Amino acid sequence: MKIFRFICILLLISLASPIVLGQNKKNNASKEKAPLLSGVGVGVDLCGLAMKGVGARFANMEVCGRVGLKEKFFPIFEIGIGDCTRYGGETTNVFSTRAPYWRIGMDYNVNKKVNGNRFLVGFRYGFSTYKYDFSAPDFKDPVYGTYAPLELEGLKGNNQWLELCVGFETRLWSIVRLGYNIRYKTRTLQSVSEMGEPYFVPGFGKNDNNAFGGTVYVTFDVGKSAHLKGGKGLFGKHKGKKEETNKEQETPPAESAPRAAKRRQN
Amino acid sequence: MKLVKGFLPACIITLMVVLGCDTIDCTLNNTVVMVSNIYQDGKAVEINDTLSITNPDASVVLLNSKTDASNLKLVLSYFQPVDTLVLTITGDGYQFEDTLWIEKTSYNHFESPDCPVNMFHHITEVRSTHVFIDSVSITQPDVNFAEHENLQIHLYSSAD
Repeated sequence: MKIFRFICILLLISLASPIVLGQNKKNNASKEKAPLLSGVGVGVDLCGLAMKGVGARFANMEVCGRVGLKEKFFPIFEIGIGDCTRYGGETTNVFSTRAPYWRIGMDYNVNKKVNGNRFLVGFRYGFSTYKYDFSAPDFKDPVYGTYAPLELEGLKGNNQWLELCVGFETRLWSIVRLGYNIRYKTRTLQSVSEMGEPYFVPGFGKNDNNAFGGTVYVTFDVGKSAHLKGGKGLFGKHKGKKEETNKEQETPPAESAPRAAKRRQN
Repeated sequence: MKLVKGFLPACIITLMVVLGCDTIDCTLNNTVVMVSNIYQDGKAVEINDTLSITNPDASVVLLNSKTDASNLKLVLSYFQPVDTLVLTITGDGYQFEDTLWIEKTSYNHFESPDCPVNMFHHITEVRSTHVFIDSVSITQPDVNFAEHENLQIHLYSSAD
């Protein structure tokens, strides 16, 4: 398990480093200033839908809404449904749950240029209150040798956790953006039935102290970030562009070569 | 553009990480047994004679002709509120029987769909006959994976 975590951390670093290194070379280029409210966006996670589509043991299907502040800070709210039906590999036991979950948090855009690409690092605080079922059809009394099917329904659970996120997103066209992120999750609070812990926690994943996860988001972003090449944002004036325009106006017009020669003779 | 080109592999790696990892973490010690120790004159002792324990209601032998018994690990029934245990000591030309009634509440315990389901117990009361057993006391009422001493079976003093 430690080796797996180490590999995942290496993977995160390897994904992040080319983007950061690439930026350093370009940071000397012109810096644009984004308005305070640089955009709002809503998105849907393709990863959860794909997992549900291919019949994975569990899936977190979610949507998100976020606000862009100065193209740097992105307060975000995520809501979704966690779904899991898990059959025991060597037993006839079945665990199932389906419940909503919520996450709130913030992303920070490390990319210093406003060029449509965002390298995001951030955190989330997630919580879910859910019910889960567990059944064991072949539940045998070891003394009497009799079978009594076990049906536990509506066991209550409550989990809270923190997530650290690293991700990247880019503008595909117009207001459509595509991005992914990888998340390291750590449990902060758990309250479950004394009969047994859930196999899966909606929004968190397989129940453990820590977990890894990821999302692939298609986001519809409205605001300045969606009109980078168009110049003006919907929610504020594009300071950078305006300043550049004023600067251009202040510069005196170039003197024609014959006129300059004549002036020098005088 | 380079960043966009790297997007698809990154997505695939993300999916692989999310889908590919799974482990089964079942408890290694996954049997639930009631632990009873035998005492005489305040000290833990061994029974030199042969000890057998049966459950007459289920017609099951729980312990078969054990010699030098001191530490008894017995499974309890899942669905009966009272377990009846008959302890038989057989020696050279003699045999004694005592009956132990263990009242308990039981509740399910599971860890994962991959692991066997168990039943934990909470012992509420213990009674016995008194042929060779002087008294029985509950030291730890919860019967689970921990295998702590749950009962102390005190035999009559050797001086008696």
